[in-house]
Amino acid sequence: MEKLLEMNNFFKNIIIGLFSVRSNLTRVILTASGLTIGIFTVSIVSAAVSSIDKEFAKSMDYYGNDKVYVGTWPWSFDFDWWKYRNRPKIEESSLEYITQYSEYITDVSIKKNTWTRATYGNKASWVQLNGVYPSYQDMLSGTKIENGRFFSQNEWDLQRRVIIVGGTVRDGFFQGKDPIGKKIRLNNVTFEIIGELKKQGIGMVPGGTLDNLVIMPSTTFERILTRWGFDELVLQTNPEDIPLAKEEVGMIMRVARKIPPGDDDNFAVNSADAYMEQFNTMKNAIAGMGFLVTGISLVVSAIGIMNVMFVSVRERTREIGLRKAMGATNFNILTQFLSEAVAIAIIGGSVGIALIRLTVFGLASFPIPNFNGATLPISFDLLLVFYTFTVCVFIGVLAGLIPARTAANLNPIDALRDE
Amino acid sequence: MAKSKKEIISIQSVSKIYNLGETVVKALDNVSLSIYDNDYISIMGPSGSGKSTLMNIIGCLDVPTKGKYKFKDELISEMDDNQLANIRNEKIGFVFQTFNLLPKLNAMQNVEVPLIYSSLGRKERIERAEEALHIVGLQDRMTHKPNELSGGQRQRVAIARALVNKPSIILADEPTGNLDSKSGNEILKFFAKLHKDGNTIIMVTHEESVAKLSKRRIDIFDGKIARDE
Ligand SMILES: Nc1ncnc2c1ncn2[C@@H]1O[C@H](COP(=O)(O)OP(=O)(O)OP(=O)(O)O)[C@@H](O)[C@H]1O
Ligand SMILES: [Mg+2]
Repeated sequence: MEKLLEMNNFFKNIIIGLFSVRSNLTRVILTASGLTIGIFTVSIVSAAVSSIDKEFAKSMDYYGNDKVYVGTWPWSFDFDWWKYRNRPKIEESSLEYITQYSEYITDVSIKKNTWTRATYGNKASWVQLNGVYPSYQDMLSGTKIENGRFFSQNEWDLQRRVIIVGGTVRDGFFQGKDPIGKKIRLNNVTFEIIGELKKQGIGMVPGGTLDNLVIMPSTTFERILTRWGFDELVLQTNPEDIPLAKEEVGMIMRVARKIPPGDDDNFAVNSADAYMEQFNTMKNAIAGMGFLVTGISLVVSAIGIMNVMFVSVRERTREIGLRKAMGATNFNILTQFLSEAVAIAIIGGSVGIALIRLTVFGLASFPIPNFNGATLPISFDLLLVFYTFTVCVFIGVLAGLIPARTAANLNPIDALRDE
Repeated sequence: MAKSKKEIISIQSVSKIYNLGETVVKALDNVSLSIYDNDYISIMGPSGSGKSTLMNIIGCLDVPTKGKYKFKDELISEMDDNQLANIRNEKIGFVFQTFNLLPKLNAMQNVEVPLIYSSLGRKERIERAEEALHIVGLQDRMTHKPNELSGGQRQRVAIARALVNKPSIILADEPTGNLDSKSGNEILKFFAKLHKDGNTIIMVTHEESVAKLSKRRIDIFDGKIARDE
């Protein structure tokens, strides 16, 4: 009970203090807003980073950690468009060299890529199209055939118009009913659905979602979809062989393309781990920027709080003298001013939390279309509140310590005589 | 002085010396003084003679440069800051010339200030503060802020604040200095009543008429006691 009463005193002191700095209200608000910005930024950044991580891992599944891709462009963010745009297209014939000479590649497939409009009755949607070999069935990564089957060698040979569809087709076209055996039109040609892929959710890598994917025999693809697109070679290996396999494939490609020694490669050998590196760089850059902004705003607000506290001590010197004459110990005065500094910090932090709360609400009510209706996964939880308050208390104590000590060490006579 | 009276304060050869580089100011010069229970003392003397300095030392706001200060059986001159704060809180009630009320707090809350630094519970604090405001006749002004009170009323709030911890001694440095003569007289009547009720009061004043109301008069001149009767 006594403890409670003491707490009551403690909070009363804070309120007394806050009332007294009311004259500096603008300054208090400005100061506190530094913390608001800091708390807000740090949680947005960590949410962004963790969601990048999560989505990225999902996308990585799609590319697989056991595959090497040969394409025109390297998987990196430093696109040098002028350098790559004149490169020759990937030829399917290179696959023969690879199967013949490679030690590390166990299986191969072409992957022809394009986008097209899919229609069923009066419903229409854009889908991503892949034309592949039957062997691709065993090279699917990050997903699997959940319903129906893959196409057969025979269907490939005969250029049959059969397709395996991603998870969104079922919901988009068939109200969640089984799509197997149904016929949809791609680029105004009718195809029969023979298989369905497991639904994935969003991915952040370009083309990294499997849900609007439609897979068909590459022979059919070639016959019907001669429109814009690009080809890639998908090569199966073991995860631990990736570096060697890439080196080897690079050499075989040079042979296949008859590139003279000394000339640059005119193709790119890619794998998910290289992509991962790029992604990590980006993630670290975002995190670095975020933490820098946070750090700066925390430092600025700490300095601001210190300034407000110094002004407060200056303006209330007589009060300090009086309180000491009435029996306040140095420690009493110290806690009074420290708790004030902490209170200012907590005000700033609370506004930050409120802003985060609003942002979470806002994002939840505005699904992002690009992400297939998913929202940016910022979470608002008690842990965040706990961390915020910890940081605020820390900043408040840190910023308030010197002014509060100044106040506590004032000589009561001098303080009372202050005008 | 009647030997039968109980001594509460004993000051022995106390000096307060300010060393200001070139000059040395002896604000108090070898002062010895005893204060007894239920004394009503006025201290007089010209400006700068050391009255406030003496009051500050008696009030444990300041420590002597030399000499011994005993409060009842406790040796004040040897105490540290926390012990002094404790003595101020429990044993001493201050009344200032300029009232020194906290402007954001109402009368009640102002009177409560010393109690915040004692170990009393909230309920008891309120009771004590109410009681003290009753004594000074401000029971119907409890929720008024200082700027809603007259000068005399403010000083009565300050007196209530000085009384609230039931101190052994009340120190008033020119308590009527900022008041008109009517309000001043009221305060002095009030001190007389407090003295009659058994309180010990020391008051600094510049006015002969005020000093006459007290039972003992000490004159200070150049940091020395020139007269004590
Ligand atoms: N902090 C200080 N530093 C230096 N000298 C001081 C200090 N405080 C007081 N003095 C000096 O000590 C002497 C006594 O001062 P004190 O305040 O006790 O005088 P007083 O009798 O209360 O005067 P008044 O009637 O004007 O209030 C003065 O000469 C003053 O200048
Ligand atoms: Mg004086």
